[in-house]
Amino acid sequence: MPREKKVENYDVVVIGGGPAGLTAAIYAGRAKLKTILIEKALIGGLATYTNEIANYPGFPEAPKGEEITNLMKKQAEKMGVDFKLTAVKSVDLEGDIKTVETFRTTYKTKVVIIATGGRPRTTGAKNEEKFLFDKGISFCATCDAAANTGKHVVVIGSGDTAIEEGLFLTKFARKVTVSVIHDCGKMDCNEIAKEAALANPKMEFIWNTVVDSFEGEERLERVILRNLKTNELIPVECDTCFEFIGYIPNTELFADQLNLTKAGYIITNEKMETGIEGVFACGDVRDKWLKQVSTAVGDGAIAGFAAEKYIEETKTFKELIMQDKKPGIVYLYNAIDVASRDFLSTIEKIEKESSGKLAVARIDVYKSKGIADRLNVNTFPSVVIIKDGKIYQVITEDLSEEKILSCL
Amino acid sequence: MAEKIVDALGEACPVPLIKAQNAIKEMNVGDILILQIDHSCAMKNVPEWARKEGHNVEIEEVDDGEWEIIIEKVK
Repeated sequence: MPREKKVENYDVVVIGGGPAGLTAAIYAGRAKLKTILIEKALIGGLATYTNEIANYPGFPEAPKGEEITNLMKKQAEKMGVDFKLTAVKSVDLEGDIKTVETFRTTYKTKVVIIATGGRPRTTGAKNEEKFLFDKGISFCATCDAAANTGKHVVVIGSGDTAIEEGLFLTKFARKVTVSVIHDCGKMDCNEIAKEAALANPKMEFIWNTVVDSFEGEERLERVILRNLKTNELIPVECDTCFEFIGYIPNTELFADQLNLTKAGYIITNEKMETGIEGVFACGDVRDKWLKQVSTAVGDGAIAGFAAEKYIEETKTFKELIMQDKKPGIVYLYNAIDVASRDFLSTIEKIEKESSGKLAVARIDVYKSKGIADRLNVNTFPSVVIIKDGKIYQVITEDLSEEKILSCL
Repeated sequence: MAEKIVDALGEACPVPLIKAQNAIKEMNVGDILILQIDHSCAMKNVPEWARKEGHNVEIEEVDDGEWEIIIEKVK
């Protein structure tokens, strides 16, 4: 018999504890929303795989990724965010109250923020599975560099991560052999890293190659590279093979509920909104141009702020707009538009003369069009008449006291 | 349902993972392994390995930088 699951209620559930998720949680926590962050392994996400982060503003000494994310975690804790270290098993994102299931708990929440990031892509070469998990294939130089002191390692890839982590590995390993898919001298990384790598006597490059297979008994003993032009097989004896060939988004849990790109990334707008109300995505998991700690943090801030706005607007919408106690007038206006502002006095007059028989709401759309969107109104100023908790009429042209009163 | 505590405090990668792998081999389905660690590298490979094997995993952060990885052997 499975144990009965605990049910916990939250305003915001953040899935994923990298820089994006942590920042979203900091913003949500600061907005006094009851927030929990669920992370399946180590708080900090892929940033903790990086030995030096030189381009995150505010940290000129280029600390380890983990140092930065540990500070973010501390900040989130200070904001009252709860943490749970476990994997999410399933989600139900539709409706006002969403469900997030873990092994032992069901979380009911108003908002879900998806910040599940990505995981390292593997080569798919023969026997790869056999050597994962400390059997000789690694995706984290920071984790496994020390264990390779004085040894020979192979690095697959030529992007920023591959070359920068390869350079870091030369501090420990006797020799670092890099397999590059491109022609001699061509790499995908930045120029600084490229120059440093080419000048490093411990680094050796094998151009135009990909991994054909991995070989060894219990542990990895050699990587067989294949030259793409000649098909020549090149065996390289080594102790560890580090693969840095990009990432795959962690979106399997959401694939049947959200719009994804062909490559599996979540499609969002600039407010980090997905196709489902109250569900936001931020960081590396969403379809975007530049994936960095700094852009993840920016995404997270927007998602956390958007979550707050969404919850506030949902409350206003239910309690003040779609109320069914009395006939309602909703005045949607833009505070920076003079004509819109002038008409406010007419609205006030209607409210006064109704002596409490009308529920009058004024919604300034300047900061957020959320409520207007929910009412399906996009011209301002407009008046929406509510009767019995439903939209009765929308007046978008020639607003006047008579016209409004005639609808009631 | 037995519970087994394995102390991997002070151990760097790959030792905690190997200790977990060896301990799980000796256990029965339904048993629970509690692996104590304080090197964050083990937080990256132990939970992922255990989940890939199909086990249930939860982690408690017992102190700053000190964790208990709780693995329920499922098969």
